[in-house]
Amino acid sequence: MHVHESNPQKTLITIILFVLVIVIGFLTLHRPRFKYKLNMAESVQMLQNKTNCFYPWQLPDVLDKTHPKVVLIDIRNKFVFSRGHIPGAENISAFDLTKKKNIRHLKALAGKNVTVVLYGNGPLQANGPWMWFRMVGFSNVKYLAGGYGYYKAHKDNLAETKNDNSYLTGIPRFNYAVVASSKNVPATTTQKMKKPVIVRRKRKAAVAAGGC
Amino acid sequence: MNRNYFLLTILMLILAAGTFFLKKQTDYKQINADKLLWEIIQPSRFVTTDQVARMIIQKDPSLEILDVRSPEEFAKFSLPNAINIPPDSLMAPSSNDYFGIPGIKIVFISDDGIKADQEWVLAKRLGFKNMYVMKGGLNRWIETIIQPKEPGESEPYTAFEEYEFRKGARLYFTGAKVEKSTVSKKVKVVIHRKKKAAVAAGGC
Repeated sequence: MHVHESNPQKTLITIILFVLVIVIGFLTLHRPRFKYKLNMAESVQMLQNKTNCFYPWQLPDVLDKTHPKVVLIDIRNKFVFSRGHIPGAENISAFDLTKKKNIRHLKALAGKNVTVVLYGNGPLQANGPWMWFRMVGFSNVKYLAGGYGYYKAHKDNLAETKNDNSYLTGIPRFNYAVVASSKNVPATTTQKMKKPVIVRRKRKAAVAAGGC
Repeated sequence: MNRNYFLLTILMLILAAGTFFLKKQTDYKQINADKLLWEIIQPSRFVTTDQVARMIIQKDPSLEILDVRSPEEFAKFSLPNAINIPPDSLMAPSSNDYFGIPGIKIVFISDDGIKADQEWVLAKRLGFKNMYVMKGGLNRWIETIIQPKEPGESEPYTAFEEYEFRKGARLYFTGAKVEKSTVSKKVKVVIHRKKKAAVAAGGC
């Protein structure tokens, strides 16, 4: 005769405890806050899209508010932001992007079908965060081609930059094979290089160091 | 049979059936999305053209250059010992051999760094470590290493040192002849003055 059979209550208690442990286990399972919505193949595909970036010549419409469906977000830090930014841009530093408050804000914007444009200093800074947002499912996020640097240099003639290609990426600007094998010395001035002359003076010995 | 044992058996079977509904795992490992963003925003993942040039010249055995441009462009020009892995072949089993080798530094290069950066993010998502992006890409490579510009007079001493290095690197990469110009190589003049003997050091 088994021990439990003498006390049927015991088995019931065991069952309840067992279920409890499993339920608690599932509830406390660590769930990551973000999940990839695009798998690897889709991510590679996504990069080919030409409408991924927001072009500087599209900015004037945003700046004079004729295009309210666009929000600019500056991902540089507060200090750099305070020294100059695109008018109307919000500042969320790259380190704070995933704070709950900011994610809620971005989700709200996505719900309202607002395009979010990230920008950093150069063309490279916003690229990584932009890709990340795309991969975790924010399909309304774009990045500003050229970054703040390009905007600053062309502040006054943004509309004319449509024909400029210096902010476009993925373009070889040299014929590498020719340039890299040319043995000609590039035109350098014949000016002689000035090198700093370091003069180290020795400390004078005390006047009356030695003695007779 | 005891009713409770029967219940226990049923419960076990239900839990076991639950495993059928587990999500299908993808066949590759990925790092957490939260961690990925953290890695993305670290500025230390960029290297300069000078650093890469220095490593190539010193024949650093731990350096592995991955070129992400198209195979046609890669065939026309590439850095020494570079390997061509366009983004669409990143997942191909053949390119997997180049990643995750302990002690190897991977440097991604492209025309201007953007495509390299994107492939860096993809590779990082797969969990590979020790990867860098060459800032400015091949365009800046040409601008700095192959056609270095002389620094202006007001620039700091380090700019001149850098220029000297780039001139040497240029010779290394283009195979150009050592220029025998009239520009004399001035040697840094360091004047050590002899210590003056103390006025009355010696004896009379």
